[in-house]
Parts: sequence; C-alpha cells; structure tokens
Amino acid sequence: MTTSSPIVLAAGLRLPQARAGSAYQTEDAGHLGGRVARELLARTGIDAAQIDEVIAGCVGPPHDQANIARVIGLRAGVPEAVPAQTVARNCASGMQAVTTAITKIRAGEGSLFLCLGVEVMSAYPLIFNQKAVGWFAGMMKARSAFAKLGAMAKFRPAMLAPRIALTEGLTDPTCGLIMGKTAENLGRDFGIDRETSDRFALESHQRARVARDSGRLGREILPHLARKARSKDAALEHDNGIRDEQTMEALAKLRPYFEKPDGVVTVGNACGITDGATALLVTTEERANALGLTPLAAIRSHAWAGCDPTRMGLGPVFASAIALDRAGTTLADMGAVELNEAFATQVLACQKAFASDAFAAEHLGRASALGELPDDKLNPNGGAIALGHPVGATGARLLLTLAHELQVNDHELGLATLCIGGGQGGAVVLERRAG
Amino acid sequence: MNVDGLPQPDNAPAPRTCWRIERVSPELARLVLDPPHRPKLAVLDVPTLRDLDLALADLSDEEDLRALVITGRNPLSFAGGADVEAIGTVTDVDLARRVVAEGQELFQRLYKLSKSGGGKLRTVAAVGGPVPGGACELSLACDYIVLADDPKTRIGLPEVKLGIIPGWGGTQRLPRRTGVPTALDLILGGKLVVSRKALKTGLVDRLAKPERLVEIAEKIALGEMKCRKKKRGFLKGVLVDKNPIAGAIIGSQARKQVMKQTRGHYPAPLEALGVTLRAPRMKLSAGLKAEQDAVVPLVTSPVTKALVGLFFGSEAAKKLGELDGRKARKIERAAVVGAGTMGGGIARKMALSGVTVRLFDLEPKALDAVEKEHSKDLAKRVKRRRLEKHAAEAAYDRLEPTRELIGTSRTEFVVEAVAERLDVKRAVLGSWGAAMPAGAILATNTSSLSVDDIAEGLDDPSRVVGMHFFNPVDKMPLVEIVRGKHTSDEVLARTARLALDLGKTPVVTSDCSGFLVNRLLGPYLDESIRLVESGVNPERIDKALVEFGMPMGPCELIDEVGLDIARHAGDSLERAYGPRMDGCLYLTKLLDAGFLGKKTMGGIYTYKNDKRGRPKKVEVNPRLAANFEREMSHAEIVDRCVLAFANEAIRALDEGVVQDAATLDLATVFGTGFAPFRGGVLGYVDSVGTSRIAEKLKAIATSAEIEGAVRVQRFEPAPLLLEKAKNDGKFRS
Repeated sequence: MTTSSPIVLAAGLRLPQARAGSAYQTEDAGHLGGRVARELLARTGIDAAQIDEVIAGCVGPPHDQANIARVIGLRAGVPEAVPAQTVARNCASGMQAVTTAITKIRAGEGSLFLCLGVEVMSAYPLIFNQKAVGWFAGMMKARSAFAKLGAMAKFRPAMLAPRIALTEGLTDPTCGLIMGKTAENLGRDFGIDRETSDRFALESHQRARVARDSGRLGREILPHLARKARSKDAALEHDNGIRDEQTMEALAKLRPYFEKPDGVVTVGNACGITDGATALLVTTEERANALGLTPLAAIRSHAWAGCDPTRMGLGPVFASAIALDRAGTTLADMGAVELNEAFATQVLACQKAFASDAFAAEHLGRASALGELPDDKLNPNGGAIALGHPVGATGARLLLTLAHELQVNDHELGLATLCIGGGQGGAVVLERRAG
Repeated sequence: MNVDGLPQPDNAPAPRTCWRIERVSPELARLVLDPPHRPKLAVLDVPTLRDLDLALADLSDEEDLRALVITGRNPLSFAGGADVEAIGTVTDVDLARRVVAEGQELFQRLYKLSKSGGGKLRTVAAVGGPVPGGACELSLACDYIVLADDPKTRIGLPEVKLGIIPGWGGTQRLPRRTGVPTALDLILGGKLVVSRKALKTGLVDRLAKPERLVEIAEKIALGEMKCRKKKRGFLKGVLVDKNPIAGAIIGSQARKQVMKQTRGHYPAPLEALGVTLRAPRMKLSAGLKAEQDAVVPLVTSPVTKALVGLFFGSEAAKKLGELDGRKARKIERAAVVGAGTMGGGIARKMALSGVTVRLFDLEPKALDAVEKEHSKDLAKRVKRRRLEKHAAEAAYDRLEPTRELIGTSRTEFVVEAVAERLDVKRAVLGSWGAAMPAGAILATNTSSLSVDDIAEGLDDPSRVVGMHFFNPVDKMPLVEIVRGKHTSDEVLARTARLALDLGKTPVVTSDCSGFLVNRLLGPYLDESIRLVESGVNPERIDKALVEFGMPMGPCELIDEVGLDIARHAGDSLERAYGPRMDGCLYLTKLLDAGFLGKKTMGGIYTYKNDKRGRPKKVEVNPRLAANFEREMSHAEIVDRCVLAFANEAIRALDEGVVQDAATLDLATVFGTGFAPFRGGVLGYVDSVGTSRIAEKLKAIATSAEIEGAVRVQRFEPAPLLLEKAKNDGKFRS
C-alpha cells in the first residue's frame, strides 16, 4: 500500500560529537548507536515492535559488527522480530539511511523506520599488511615442529608496517587521490585562497560557539558518558571540536597538510576525524499523528547525483539541483542550508558553483545558475569544521540540525546536502512542521 | 523395602506408580521417574524410593536385559532431591537412621546391578534441570551420568545448606569419582554447578543437548556409543586421594576454611569433611556406615530444623509474587529517582536482572558515577565468569540515565530514593505519577516515613507501596514490601514479583514506623551503645554477638550504617513508639566531630585503607575516651542486646506487622543476618524457652541499671510473650 501522506522526520536526537581519540576513545559503535536509539524510543514512547526496520548508515563498522544496524536495534531494545540493515554511501551513509526509508515508504514496504548514522573513527584499526598475513597463514599451516621453525624463519621486519584503515579509507582508489587533494583541486579551479578558507573555518567555530552557548545545539543533543569511561571522565555535554579560542593568526600558522608548500587545505580549515551518532524516526505524517508525535519536519524531496571523483567536493551542487527541481522550488526559497564542511575550500567552491551561470551551463545543463547562497543562510550554526564529521553519522546529523533550524527560526524550507568521496552528492529538501 | 512408619506425604500414591518402566527392547529398559503426586517437580520421597525398589526388583529378574537408563519425565526435570519437608519433621534418631539406611541400601542395590558394582547391567543416568542432593546421589550410583547441556541444569550436593551432609552415598561415591579435592569443594561449599563445570570436574561423564539426552544415554547403555569415563589419574589417585599425609594436609586446610566461614556454628561441613576425606581409603560398605553415623545426628539437630524452616520460609516468600494463584505481571520497564548509593544500587540491580530502568537525577555527576560503577561491576562479573560479555553489555544498556522527567510514557513502576523528607517524596511521586501511564506503581524506598503519609494527596493512593531495600543493595537479600492502607493487592503482588525478579526475598510488612527490620534493630543497637557508655569495650560487645551468631557485631554495624543514619532512624522510632525507644546520646560528641562511621574512616572504631583501598578496622576510636573497665560476661551482653531485639519482635508480631512468626524469623535472618542456625529471633526464643526468656527480661527490667531508666518498657516482657510463657508455649510450631 502506498501513501500520499507526506513523509516526516517524526523525532530525532544525537549524541555530542567528539574528536577521535577524545571522549569516545573507548566507545563501541554498536553501543553509541544503541544509546541514542534507545533514548529516542523512550522519549517518543512508541512501541518498538511497530518499527518496520532499523536502518543505520556507517562507513566503517567494527569488524565484529558488519551489520551494525542489527546490533544497534537489539541494543536499543527493539524486538528481535524487527529486521535491520546497514547502508553505506561513504560520507552520506547517515543520509542514505533516511532516503532508504523514504524509498521503502513510497514503495509501500512499511511506514515507520528507525534511521541512524553512526561512526566511531577512534576505533578504526591498523591492519597487518599482505606480507604479514601470508606469514601468519604459513604459521597456521605448519604442522611439524620443523615446518613451524621454517615458517617462523620467513619473518621479515617489513611485515610490521601496518596499513592505516583511516588513511586508506579516505583515499579514492579510482583516482588515487586522498580527499584533501580533491579539495585542493577545487581551490585551484575556483581561485579560493588560503585566507578565505581560514576565515570560513574561523566563522564555523564562532557560529558553533554561539549556537552551543545559546542552547540552540542543546535542543538536539543527548549528553553521553562513554562506555568504559575512566573514573575521572564525565559525560560529554557538547560537541568537543568547537574551538572557542580559534584565531586567524593561529590558523595561518598551520602548514598545508595535503600539498606542500602551496596548498590551501590545512587541518585547521578541514573537518576533524570524529565520533558520533544521530538517530531519526522516519514515518508518514499520518502515522506520526496516530502515534501522538509532532514531527520536526517533512521531507519534500531528495536526490543523489554523481560527479568527477577528483572534484567530489562539488557533489552538493549536482544533487541540490535535482532535489530542488523535484521539490518544485529554488535555492532562493531556502531559509537555511546545511552544506557539510568537509573542507572550507570545498564549501566555498560549492558556493561559487551555485552562483555561476557558466558552471550551470557546462555541468548542470541549465541556462542559468542555481542562485546565490548567502553566507548567513549557509550553516548558521557552524559546520563540520567545528562540530566534526563522523563520516557515517553526518548525513543524519545535517537533517536533524536543519529540522531544528527550520523550527527555531521559522523558515519554511531548508536544504541539507553533502559531498561524497568517490564523486557524488546527496541533497534533501525539508519543510518546516510546527514545533 | 519396608515403609511402615517412614514419613510419607499425605497424598502418597499406590505402589508401582512413581516410576514408569519402559521396555524399549529385550536388552534395554528405561526407568522414568514420574510420580503422580508431584506434578511439578519430582522429589525422592518415601513413595518414590519404595517404587524404585520395586522396579529394580522387577528388572533384576529379566534374563536378556543388559542396559538401563534412568531419567526424569523430561530431560530438564529429574528430581529436586530428597524430601526436605520430611527432613524437617524427623526428630527421632532411630527413624532418621532408618531413612538414611533405606536410601543407602536402595542405591547400593542399583550399584550392584551396575557393571561397576559387579552386576550385568550398564546403567546410565540421563538427567538435567535441577539435579540436587539425593537426585545427584542416585545418578552417582549408576555407571555413567549423561547430563543435559542446558542453562537450566544445576547439579551438586547442597546438603550442608540444610545443616546435614549427603547421606545416600554422596560422600563416598563422589570422591571416588572426582578425587578428594573436587569432592570437598562440591560437598563443603554446597554449591550447584552448571553443566560445563560438572563435566570439567568429572562429576558427570558426558553432556548432551536435552533433545538427544535419552537417545544418547541409551546408546551408551547398549554399548553402541563409546563414552570415556573420566578417570582420576593413577598418580593423583595414589598420591593425593589414598595418601594419608596428603589427606591430613588437605583436611587441615579445609577445616581452617570451614571454621573461618562457619565460626563453628555449623557442624555439617566438618562432619562432611571427615567422611569425604577418608572415603578413598575405606571400603565402600565401611564408608557408607561412616556416612550414616555422621548424618543421623545432624538430621535431628536443631540447626537442621532451623535451616529447613528458613528454606520453607523463603519458598513461601515466592508466593508473594503471585496473584490469584498465578505469577503477577512482570515489571519490564521501571524507573528509579535519585542516583545516590541506594538509588544507584537499586537501578544497577534492576538492569542486571533484566529490567529496563530509567535512572533520574538532576545532578549529572551522580548519574555518571552510577554508570561507571555499573560498568566496573559488570566487568568484574565478566572477569569472574559469572556473566558473559554480551549479557554484561545488555545489562549496561538497560540502565538509562536521564536528567529530565521524560521518556516515561511506557514506564510501569517507579521507586524513589530521594531525601527522607515527606514533602520531597510526595512531590517526586506526584510528578512521576502524572508522567507515567495510569495504574503505574509508585514505590517509596523510605525507611523512616509512613507510606500512607506519602500516599496522601496523590490522586490514586492504591498504587502507592513501600519497597524498602537495604544497603548495599547487591548484597542484602531482604526487601520489605510495605503495604499502605490503600495499597491494592495487584500493586503489592507486582512489587513482590519485582523483588523476586531481582533475586531478593520479599517480606510484606505493615506501615508502622521502622517497618520490621529497623524497628527491631533500633533497641538492639541502642543497647550496645549504652553498654559502651557504661564502660564495656566495644570489641568485647562485638565479639560476644559474633560468637552468638550475628554476621558482625552491633558496634561495627553502626559504623557500617553510619552514625548519622542510625541516629536519624532511632529518633523516628522514638517519636513513634515513645519511651521504650528512648535513644542514647552517648555518640553525639562523635557525630558532632564528624565521625559518621566507616564512610568517614571513623566512628566507634577508626579505619584505615588497606592495600586495595578498602577501609579496615584499626582500633576503638580514642575519642570515646573511656578506659572500658566494666567486665561483663558474653552471656550478659548477648541477653541485653538480643532480648531487647526479641521483645520488640514479639510486640511487632502481636501487632501483625508481618503475617506470622515464620515470616518474622525469615526477615530477621535475611534483613539483619540474625543467626540462621538459630532459625531467626523467635526460633531462638523458642529454643531457650518462652518462660525462661520472660524471666530473663523481667530480671533485666528490675535490675538496678535499668529499673529507673526511661526505656525500662523495652525489657518488660511483651504481653504476647507472657501469654506464651504461661505454659512455656512456642512461637514457631
């Protein structure tokens, strides 16, 4: 049975996002997701048996939790009879969880979905290299003492050099570029200099600080004490990547990270490696009302688009063009835009591409530009440069932050969009609901 | 087997009905224990033993039979051991000897039919579920034991817990099977073990999934399937089990351990040690005789009667969780308000026991502390293999900390553990009651306020109940369920069910000040302080009462509880009951100086952290500044403290604070640790004699020290005691 009732984000909650190796150093992704999902279920008071499926986005689930959605569902107290799937679309995995639910609702495959984005980048492993794996296999096969000795003798020091899952994960195997280098490409294409990038980064921290101190971000956050916290640790209250003391001078001192000596991307104007989890309840407006829930926002449209992997940072422009068309609206109608800050340079490039007639003509097949994206509408509460980018979680976090933004500042419409490693973009248009 | 005069249940069935003989083939027979008079769990009572005897006689005549499987009516239900009720009634030594001897002879008959006893049958016990005591001994008499590999399976010899020792060959067959050290472990500890451990220790020969238990046992019996018997290696057999020197060393170690644990109050473990240790060096028949001689006097001893009484008391307590003969609806989602020591302890226990619990506190640090404690405690359980890692993770998840009163729309039960102030408690239960669904239970963990007072003004007082836990929550087995005058039966039963789900023993009390346990402890602790004031050394007082059988002395207990808490509780008792609860002010100067007990490293005693950072007693607090010259005999000290306790207990019984004397005794043992081997406080009064107790009380009340005191009523025999004392009647029948 399909429904004509609008699809809504009925409720949502997230944990404070923590720089990798900090507050959630000892966390387990299954527990992190389980905690936020469990609290969301308690607060909404819905009978978890009514959920049609748990869908979680995660880029690097722990090796013992490949289908981490199932782990999260069971840890959150969702009954065993409710199925669960894990979805992945790199940095947009958390948004993919929501759009998978949308597609399922439209196809009549259920009407109530618990969607999550979750990532514990702190726990990304070091991996034995291929030579070492071969050596271990030889050891296992050796039966006699003599054979064992022989196998052991094949050890070489080079086998100790680990492969770093994090670095390899952030490198696109089809074009061989690590993400930061794709941002450097955009910097050159659009003529974005170091100082502009740094200024954008500084603004992100300042906006996040205001949003935190005013309680704006607190609306969406559940304070969280990490699993296996040490005795001196306390529950994390806020995203801990926000640098209150950030200055242009301090940013200027940092060396380019990916292209020395003339690159513009530094660790100061790029997003940090982060842990976090966000949960959203996706359903129809009708169902939400029946469950006694007041939706946060309705989903007007969504879109996925592909682009040049070496310029993956422009993905938001490609995806937003389609999503806005599908929603029958324009960029100018957006009260707020959450565009994920993978790199300051990349966001600034998108901003230029949105406004460029030439870009529109060449890449989007349209006569004129999508429109201006004014600074004040772009990431009004700061973005990933300050709040962090737990890759699999961010897509869901953008939707939650945007939904609250529409309510708080009474905007009719808003756009959440992000770039995706491998050359893609995702975009969702949200419409305000009473809150 | 002659059953005349042996203790039998009222509904004993006709002969040949308790065991089913199933002839699978001419070679193979199944003996299935299925007594019609015990539809829930079979028990090895006199009728079932009689019928086993008959069945064995029938089978021994069969020419072609060579394999025998003994099993229960289903793979996870064999028998709950010997008939505990009957053990409780046997007071005659000759009768006790007959019961023991009949059982021993019967199991010997089975053994002699078996290959290992020189017979022609290969006998296999196929058992599972609970297999305690006699059921385990019956299995031990077979050639092989195949045990159901299931979480519900528990096997062992728990006889010492009832003050006796295994009497049907357990002390002889187990050490021969597993070796002496393992046998001592199982018999002296009285712990039941899970299936994996039973296999590892050699108690059983093989595990099988319940579905295939009987099939596999039959194949083993027929010789179609090999089952390697766990054998004690020759070296260990000779060097340890049969070596008198090794025996002496093991024996003295074990004896020390036992004495440390029982303080000599329980004779059973020492007796068990003696016969088990010598078993491998004796002929089986001589060993069985020794076992018989050891167990008979224990069966009729008062310790056994006391422990059996407690066993039935705690079984009866399980009924409190029932409503109209069925288990009351389980509480799945609970909440605790207040993340202090008590609230945190309750919440952690709930999470551990499978209840989802929201723990509310305004103070984030308090919530953090509980979560960390929870995590630490779970890790410890995993390390000690008490809990599997995934189960620990689930227990961690079930505790949901919250700083706001939200997410309660599906919560069925809340218990508050906030400040002991009427207005605060009322406000908390009022606001939670409004936020939770209609009919949700509102419980208070108050120790000094009235449940009815708290319920007053709440919109539905029928859902208000007291649920009084004791500190530390994890260790203390008793929970007082306080029935207010409006509390509904369903609320009471569901709350008791929750206590049982938490592994606690519930006792229902009326809504009087101090309920039961604190009310009785009040005069007891106060007397001990007054003795200190009069110049008796606290260490002497504590020693006297520990020797009496209390788990710790009263002075140490006050330090443990906290001088401030004890004073607060004492004051509220005094307000409620008047002069007889008049509290001594001797400790005021300690209190004023900030010595609040163990928690401040100083109270009546001073404390110092040991290497592991745990406070250990050092000496009597020098601030007490007395030279403690008063000599007082241990007996006098015990009388002063324990009789004050007992007299108040009799008053409480008379007032109907608890249902009956057995319940009161259960509460004193589980709530105050009152000497279990004495059967609780009224058991103690009975054993001394009610008239003698009344006389002793009168003597104290009219002594120079007490006569003019405000609290003299404390020692004036309670009216119910005087009534009983007239013809030296008993409280416990």
